[in-house]
Amino acid sequence: MSTLVLAVGFGLVTASVLAIAAIGLTLQVGVTNLVNFAFADFLTLGAYLAWSLNSGWHLNFWFSLVFASVAVGGVAVAANVFVIRPFLRRRTPIVFLLIVTIGLSLILGNLNLAIWGSGYRSYDLSPEQPIHLGPLEFTNNQLVIIAISVAVMVAVRLLLTQTKLGKAMRSMSDNIDLARASGIDTDRVTHVVWMLSGTLAGLAGVVLALNLTTFDTGLGSNILFVIFAAMILGGVGSPSGAILAAVVLGLATEVSAAFVNSGYKNDIAFLALLVVLMVRPQGIVRMAGKN
Amino acid sequence: MDQLGYYLATLVVYFFVYNILVWGLNIQFGVAGILDFTYITFFAIGAYTAGVLTNGPAAATNQHYILGLNWPFLVAMCVAAGVSALAGLALGGVALRRLRSDYLAIVMVSVGTIVFDLIANNPNLFNGNDGLGGVPSPFNDFLQLDPNTYLYFFVVFSGVIMVALGLLAHRLTSSPLGRSMRAIREDLEVAEAFGKNSTRIRLIAMMIGCAYAAIGGALLIAFISAISPSGWLPPETFVIFAALLIGGRANNLGAVVGALLIPVVFVEATRFLPKWPSNPELGAALRNIAIGGLIIATLWFRPQGLLPERRWRWKGPLPAMTHGSPDA
Repeated sequence: MSTLVLAVGFGLVTASVLAIAAIGLTLQVGVTNLVNFAFADFLTLGAYLAWSLNSGWHLNFWFSLVFASVAVGGVAVAANVFVIRPFLRRRTPIVFLLIVTIGLSLILGNLNLAIWGSGYRSYDLSPEQPIHLGPLEFTNNQLVIIAISVAVMVAVRLLLTQTKLGKAMRSMSDNIDLARASGIDTDRVTHVVWMLSGTLAGLAGVVLALNLTTFDTGLGSNILFVIFAAMILGGVGSPSGAILAAVVLGLATEVSAAFVNSGYKNDIAFLALLVVLMVRPQGIVRMAGKN
Repeated sequence: MDQLGYYLATLVVYFFVYNILVWGLNIQFGVAGILDFTYITFFAIGAYTAGVLTNGPAAATNQHYILGLNWPFLVAMCVAAGVSALAGLALGGVALRRLRSDYLAIVMVSVGTIVFDLIANNPNLFNGNDGLGGVPSPFNDFLQLDPNTYLYFFVVFSGVIMVALGLLAHRLTSSPLGRSMRAIREDLEVAEAFGKNSTRIRLIAMMIGCAYAAIGGALLIAFISAISPSGWLPPETFVIFAALLIGGRANNLGAVVGALLIPVVFVEATRFLPKWPSNPELGAALRNIAIGGLIIATLWFRPQGLLPERRWRWKGPLPAMTHGSPDA
């Protein structure tokens, strides 16, 4: 019984990490309508940048986290401006755009490997203490991760509902031509979306690495398809769907690891993905025009 | 000198195997437009199937695997092709029916990852992460050649199979079936309006491509006599994609050029660069960065690849026009 309870605890933390990444991805795919296979490498880059700042230059961890996340946001914008947007302007068919993002993933992912090498890294932090919340047990870092995730959810919700930018993002996600015709500067909003998606990806990478305590260059790629699963399960373009899906998948993968070989953890998420795509491709929260 | 001969012969075998792999992907992606991002999984299915069929029983070795029937290589190779084609049928039947390209790609890689995890985590299936080894060399138990001579025999053997598959691929792409595949690739709705069953034709393309991948896998495992999960990680599919895109998409000769340039020349040539002492992975990482860059550059500057797709032309007036048309 206590392994199950522990697994639920892990599941909540995993769900928090997944939620941050899934929100970033679903917003970007919702607005740009392009599935970005290089997203995994944004996560890995964020984790490694924070490591260099934290363990290499001995800066405070939380400062490294913020700085690394914003830096990855910048890289994402650069990727859009220099690689993806030129192909979009040429009206390249989507099949080749996907291959371009694969090429981008090969470049960014191996850049990580080339710069930092293949060993395992850890962050420089004060030792963790266990904290008990009812029957669940967390470390203080894990509680911070959950808190960050909740803060991100609230911030994104406020952005989307209370600001003009958010409204522009929602309208572009719904019907990009109508948004353009309504006078929305789609180029500028696209830059912001890539920045936001990259920042969230970098943030997710750092907290994922924090949760795993040691990480290597496979960090992002190991979890990428679970993030895809969360995005599709929740409905592309819907942050609230992404959150719900992240909770479901986070709990499902961790709880299943208590029963089956933990090598199959992510495969549970993939099975869920396959089932969703066969049965209800539009996801839990339906968004018009996104099928 | 003998060392050089040995090395070159090995390269030639790799070149032949990659030809077969790129032709298979060409049928799936170049001709039929299916974005199979998990192509390498079908290579693995072929290799493992051929391996466990041609190996002796597992109890005699210190590995764990199923079957172990000591079958002759050619039979095992055909069975491997069949198994892989069935796997392609299963995956395609589920995924090809109604998914748009990006979701299809995601589903394919997810299934590929599940298969990878199943094989790596189940040591009783195919010896898990330690890999399947001891695979006997085709025909050697009655030819009884020493390793050096056998190598040259295998070059000829794999070359014959490769040429046969190449001719088959050419026949396929020039046939009405190939034409239907191209039509579906270009505009699915129009092809369906002309009465083509797009699902059925795409499934056929999928199955044939998977069979090619399996034969390539069977040849390679027979050549190296072993395979392990680290030999078919997901990025391998993209090396083959790079070869296809750069050499010439939907062009079988272009596929050969691509197979020569990328897996053989580019990868092998860079293998000899000295290793950076503090970062042994640096060479491989730089090579993959270059492949990613080549993919993007090719898609930007020359999306059709080095040898573009043939423009198909009718040789004379269409037959119908010579029979009682008002203007004749």
